[in-house]
Order: sequence, then C-alpha cells, then structure tokens
Amino acid sequence: METGLDMTLPVQMVLGALLGLSVYLPLASGQLSLATPGFYAIGGYCAALLSTGWPALGGELPTFPLPSLLLELVLGGGLAGLIALLIGRPVLRLQGIYLAIATIALVEILRVLNLNLPFTGGALGIFAIPQPFNDPAGYLAAASLLLALACWLCQRLETMRLGRAQAAVRDDELAARSMGIDTARVKLTSFVLSAVIAGVTGVLSAHFLNTWNAKQGSFDASITTLAFVVFGGSRTWLGPVLGGLVLTALPELLRPIGDLRLVVYGLVILVGPVLFPQGLITPERLKQWRQLLPQRGRPRRAEP
Amino acid sequence: MSGDLPLLSVERISVRFGGLKALEGVSFQLEEGEIFGLIGPNGAGKTTLFNVISGLTPATEGTVHWRGTPLTGLPPDQVNRRGIARTFQNLRLFSNQSVLDNVLVGLHHDDHSSLLGGLMRSRSFLTRQQQLRQRALELLDLFDLTGLAALPAGDLAYGDRRRLEMARALATGPRLLMLDEPAAGMNPAEKDDLCELIGRIRHHFQLTVLIIEHHVPLMMRLCDRLAVLHFGEQIALGPPAAVRRDPAVIQAYLGESER
Amino acid sequence: MDNLLQILFNGLSVGAVYALFALGYTLVFSVLGVINFAHGAVFTLGAYFTYLLLGGAVGSNGLLAGAQLPEGLPFWVALVLAGLGCALVSVGLEAVAFGPLRRRQAEPLLSLITSLGAGVVLVNLIQILMGAEGYALPAGSLGQLPVTLELGGARVRTIQVVLMLVSALVVVVLTLWLERSRGGKALQAVAEDATTARLLGIDSDAMIRLCFAVSGFLAGLSGGLVGLSLSITGPYFGIGYGLKALGVLVLGGLGSVPGAVLAGLIVGLAEALVPGEWSGYKDAVAFAFLFGMLLLRPQGLLGRAVVTKV
Repeated sequence: METGLDMTLPVQMVLGALLGLSVYLPLASGQLSLATPGFYAIGGYCAALLSTGWPALGGELPTFPLPSLLLELVLGGGLAGLIALLIGRPVLRLQGIYLAIATIALVEILRVLNLNLPFTGGALGIFAIPQPFNDPAGYLAAASLLLALACWLCQRLETMRLGRAQAAVRDDELAARSMGIDTARVKLTSFVLSAVIAGVTGVLSAHFLNTWNAKQGSFDASITTLAFVVFGGSRTWLGPVLGGLVLTALPELLRPIGDLRLVVYGLVILVGPVLFPQGLITPERLKQWRQLLPQRGRPRRAEP
Repeated sequence: MSGDLPLLSVERISVRFGGLKALEGVSFQLEEGEIFGLIGPNGAGKTTLFNVISGLTPATEGTVHWRGTPLTGLPPDQVNRRGIARTFQNLRLFSNQSVLDNVLVGLHHDDHSSLLGGLMRSRSFLTRQQQLRQRALELLDLFDLTGLAALPAGDLAYGDRRRLEMARALATGPRLLMLDEPAAGMNPAEKDDLCELIGRIRHHFQLTVLIIEHHVPLMMRLCDRLAVLHFGEQIALGPPAAVRRDPAVIQAYLGESER
Repeated sequence: MDNLLQILFNGLSVGAVYALFALGYTLVFSVLGVINFAHGAVFTLGAYFTYLLLGGAVGSNGLLAGAQLPEGLPFWVALVLAGLGCALVSVGLEAVAFGPLRRRQAEPLLSLITSLGAGVVLVNLIQILMGAEGYALPAGSLGQLPVTLELGGARVRTIQVVLMLVSALVVVVLTLWLERSRGGKALQAVAEDATTARLLGIDSDAMIRLCFAVSGFLAGLSGGLVGLSLSITGPYFGIGYGLKALGVLVLGGLGSVPGAVLAGLIVGLAEALVPGEWSGYKDAVAFAFLFGMLLLRPQGLLGRAVVTKV
C-alpha cells in the first residue's frame, strides 16, 4: 500500500500521538489502564461497518464524503465513551496492578469477540474501507486536527477544577477523598475521555489503513501505547505526544538495520524506565526549557 | 434549628479488627465552637476514632451523628461535604503540586465554573479562578506560607508542611476541623505559635476543633474539654482541670511511668 | 462417556501447564510485588530450547539456519536443561531490568514496562535466530514410550500424561521446598517483608535472584511441555499463554501457590468444556474468569485481601 516514506509515516506518528494521549488521561488520575487498544478497535469497527455496510453514508462514491466521516467520528467516539461509562464504575474501583490486569482482560475479551462475532468479518476483518482522502496528506490534516483538539483539551484541563482534581487523585487518592473530591467521578471522567480519544483515532485509522481486523486491538498495542507514555513522560500531556511521535517513527527509521530494529525497539522500552524514570518530558524540564527562551513582553499565565 | 443539638455526637463507637480491639464504647459530644482534645498514649485508638468519623474506617458498633443526622457509613468525600475536614498524622499532601495548588484543590467546593466555561476560558471562568486564587493566597497568608506558594509541596520543611495541611483542610470550608497530631516534631516555641494559631482560626472561621495530641501540657492549655483514651477505652472526659485530677487518668499515666 | 473423560483429561493437562506457568508469575509477584511481563517470552524460549535439545534443526529463515545437535537428548533431560537455560535468562533479566529499578525504589509501573520491553527483545531475538516459522517437535521425542495410552477406556496421548505427572511433581517439590527448606522459608520471609528479612541476616538480593531463577525454570519447563504436546507456531506463541496465565494468576489469587494450581486446573477444564461450535471463544474463557474475579473478589480464590493503611 505504501511506497516509501512520503506522508504515510507522519500520519502514523500523529495517530500514535493520539493513542499516547488516550493512555495518558487515566494515568493523569493515577489509573494504569491498558484499555486504549480495545476502544481503538471499537472505533475502527464502527467506522468499518458503517462505511461498508450503510450505503446511505456514501461508501460507494469514489471519495467517502466528509460529513459521513464526521458522523462516524461522533458515533465511534460516542460508542467507545458509552462503553467506558458502563464498565468504568465497577472496573475503576480496582487499584494499581489489578486495574491494569482488568483492562488487559477487557482488551483480550474484545479481541476474541471481534474475531468471532458474525458481523465483524472474522480473522480477515473488514476490508475495502472507503477512503475520504485520496492521498495521505488529507489524512495527515485530519489527524493533526484531531491531535490539536485533544492537546488543547488536555492543556485546558490542567487549569480547571477537573485537572487539579485529577492531579490530586493521582498524588494521594485518600487525601483527595478526604478533601471532598468525588474521586470515583474524577477517575471515570478520565477513563471516558481516554476512550473517546481512542475511539475517534480508531475511526480515522480504519479509513487510513483500508482494512480493519481484531489484530488492531491487541495486547501488543497496549504495550506500545503504554511505552509512548513511559518513554515520553507521564506527568504532562506533551510527554505521550512526543512519545507517540518518536516511538511510532522509530521502527520505520530503524528499517535499514533490518530485523534488529524490533530488538532495538524492545531495548528502548527495556532501558527507558531505568534511565528516565519519569520519561523524557517532565514538568521540571519544561520549566528549564521555558526559562531558556528569551523573555517576552507579556506572560502567558500569571505565576504566583 | 440545631439549637440544642450537639454539633458532633459520638455514641458508643467500637472498632474491632478480627481479634484486635482498637476502640471500645467511646462516647462524647462536641459543642459548637469548642476546642476538644483527645489524648492518650500511642495505640490508644485516637487516629482510629478520627478515621471512623471521617469515613475511612467502618465502626463495628455505635454511631456518629453530625448535627442530628447519621454520619457513620458515609464515604470520606461526603463526610467532608457535610462540613468536616481533617489533617493526617503522617501528612498526606499532594507533594507533586505546588503549595498554592494544594489549597486550590481544597477550594474546589466553591469552584462552580462550568466545563464549557473552563474550556473556553470565558470571562466568568477567569474571574472565578482569580477569586479562588485570591482566597487561596489569603489562607496561605494566615498560615505564613505566602512566600512558598509556587514551590512543590514535597519540597517544604516539615513544619511548613504541617501548616499547609491545615490550610488545605480549612480551604474546604468546614464547621469542624479535626487535627491529628498537629504539633508533632515542633519545638516549644513552634508549639506556642500553633496554640495561638488554632485559637485564632477558631475565632476567625467560627470553627469547632477536635485535636489529637501527645503533648499533654499543650492540650491542657489549649482545649476547653478533653477525653482520655487508653487501650481503646475512654477513661475520662471533662475540662482539663478535672481530667488532670481524675484518678483513672493518673493511674493510667503514672502506672505507665512506673514500669 | 469416554468423550467426557477425554475432555476432562485434555482440560486437566492444559490446566497443568497453565498452573505451572502461573506459578512462575506468582513467585515473582509474591516476592517483588510486580508482574514479570517477560514471563511469556521466557516460556517461548523454553519451548525453543527444548526443540533444539531434542535434536530439532533450525529452519532456513533464521540466522542459525541448519544448526542442529548431532543427537537429540532424552525428553526429560531436554526439559530440565531447557528449564535451567531459562532460569539463567531470567536471572539475567533481574540483573539488567528489575534489579536497578528495585534498588532505586521506583514505582511498580516502571518494572512492568521494563519487563514488557525485555519480552519484546527476547521474542525478536528468537525470531532473528530461529526464523518466524513454526516448528513441530521431532518425532520419537518420547523415546521408548508409546505415543498413546489406554486409560480407563479412553485413548490419551502419552505426552499429556507426562505433562500432568511433571507438573504434579514440580508443584509438590516446589511446595515442599517453600515450606520445609531453609531456602524456601527464607524466600517466604523476603516475600513477607524484605527489609526485616535482611535484618534477620537473609540476603534478600540473592533470594530475589533465586526467585527469578525458579520462576524462569518453571516458565521454561512449561514452555517445553507445551512445545512437546502441541507445537511451536512461531516466536509469538507464548504471548497468548502469558496473558492467559495472568488470568489464572488472578483467579487463584496473586501470590498464592495453591491458588495458581487450583486456578490453572479450573481454567484448563473450563476451556476444554467449551462446546465445539463456540471453540473460537475458548481464549476468552480465561479472561472472562479474570474479569469477573476482579470485579467480584480481587484477591482471587485463595489470595489474601489487600489492606491499605491510613
């Protein structure tokens, strides 16, 4: 399908960054959830099924209409969010490693369901998914728009009550509860937002990749997306974005060294936490870099 | 409406963990505006009582009433929303957040900005945030923490951290403030300051204060009334002068030091 | 009737492998409080080691193409050696990944990620060296033993019997070692409280290394057994087992040895009892158990409830 690097890799990188953000959000509330690939798969199947199975959307046309894509984004993200809302409450009562394992189980259950349910196309999945854009540049624009929106959301959250509550829950959930914060609701909100972002990314990816099957939502993806956050930095949203961009590009950039590239990739994930426990981008480092910049006239945010 | 009702009513609270008895039949009532102290040696169950009141530990027996309605069985966040705030013996600050942000979290009750307003940074949102920051800074000022506002809470000296926890608890706007060993690790001069501070905030915020402390002279000076816990049981209850002379208390303390 | 026996037998033999595999997880968890996600890769390594030690030849795709032992070893020797090899790899993992993080008292999440990375490295090294194709274990691996046996009117594969016997033996030996021997009790002490154990003169670091070694041995052994009884479908075949063993781990209770055994057998039986037309959903059985267990009783069947101190 691809003929060399051109725009395909950047699209994958941006989609990776989006998935990184999806993993980051629950972590920002102290929840290690590995459910992102599951919601990603849900979004993808939504788009795949709708565009190939519902003629009214215009799947037969040479170019898949943008309004239909928009509809899919809403539906796919919405479905993912709804499922997250339903299973979130009981699941998020679990702590630490138990929550992580529960989300792994969830992803696996979804994967098996996707492999076997009559309408998901079995192991081959769904193919010949209509294309809203004729070349990767269009996808890059769409993906970048989504990423910008998601980043904007995360940035705004930080200065809002919800963002502060998330950070409080992450630092000390017990203390946060004792300060009157409805920690269950805070965690659920992060979880649902994470699912929506993953779902929306899935919708776009399904069109981009042209086919969609159960392999898209697998444990491997849990690992790689988690690595985005751990490598890039888990204390600020910039971290997973950077992690997603870099680690998605890495296997491609390492192509020249052939089969060893996945080994190198694994080494990065192996060694990263040992060398950079907080990831590459930490709030402290950000502060240092900001101070290196020449002073501007007006401050962006009033600092105490 | 709460004219004759005590603010907090602890009725025959017992807590048992398997075979271990942490509290047995503890009962007392708090009157509005008083400073009430809980004293007793380590392991007497004082923090356990706090945990029962604040909803962190379930009581095996007995009930707690807050302004006439039952409090036992409520989760910690609801207890706080009813007007009870506490500090922790082992300090539970949000160490990765700034001093100011710690207090801002406490003020979340009053942050009624809408989600959309926050996202769009509407005028009302920004004004509100500014007001909250102002209130937070005022609180910090009260506790002598203004200069440290931008520092991560985890970087503070011990005494400053203790005061920050108090400031944060106060930010939640409680009627009852529960302090768990607020004077721990303080030298005599700091203890005096603390005494004076507690008296001040009681007056300023019209609080009722429930304190756990080890340092008996401090409590004798500060508190209007005391309850003495010994191995989970309440062995005395009353004004400091009476408690000091109570034979059971003398027995418990002298008996210990004779060993 | 003997169809049911067949199913039960299949279930038990698969369950025995799950149990063995989950035991490795449980050991590391009870001592370190972390899940070693490289366990599945070590399992895979065990299968490949066993294949090579049995005299199998490396296919044409890997770097080691054509390599082959001049003569295959008896299967039980191969299994033990494969287990030992994996024990060594596991200890190496501890030295490179878990050890440094532990000494720095880093949060458990980091150990998790690191082990995931280690798993990726191992599996891909295997792929480079041995190629991505599947391997069936050499015919006649069982030596003099017949390929099938008659048991109670059912025809069962000898390898399944071997599997169950070996697993049972290992569990018994392991339990005895943990409960009776100095080393085993020291390990339990370290699991309970590493600092106190150290104060009591127990070399916690050595104990942890031992723990990883035993865990690696178990993984390698179970990998070899699975390779013998089924086949190796490729370097990634251990991942699915690794995940399922996670389900077994939670079902039995993290940190509980008898729990891992019981849960392994339960999951194996449950999978075997899945009717033919739903066989695609077999893989989901372990995870359904896992999910349900976590929601209803996170400490598993035999694990200890987690208590947080205020």
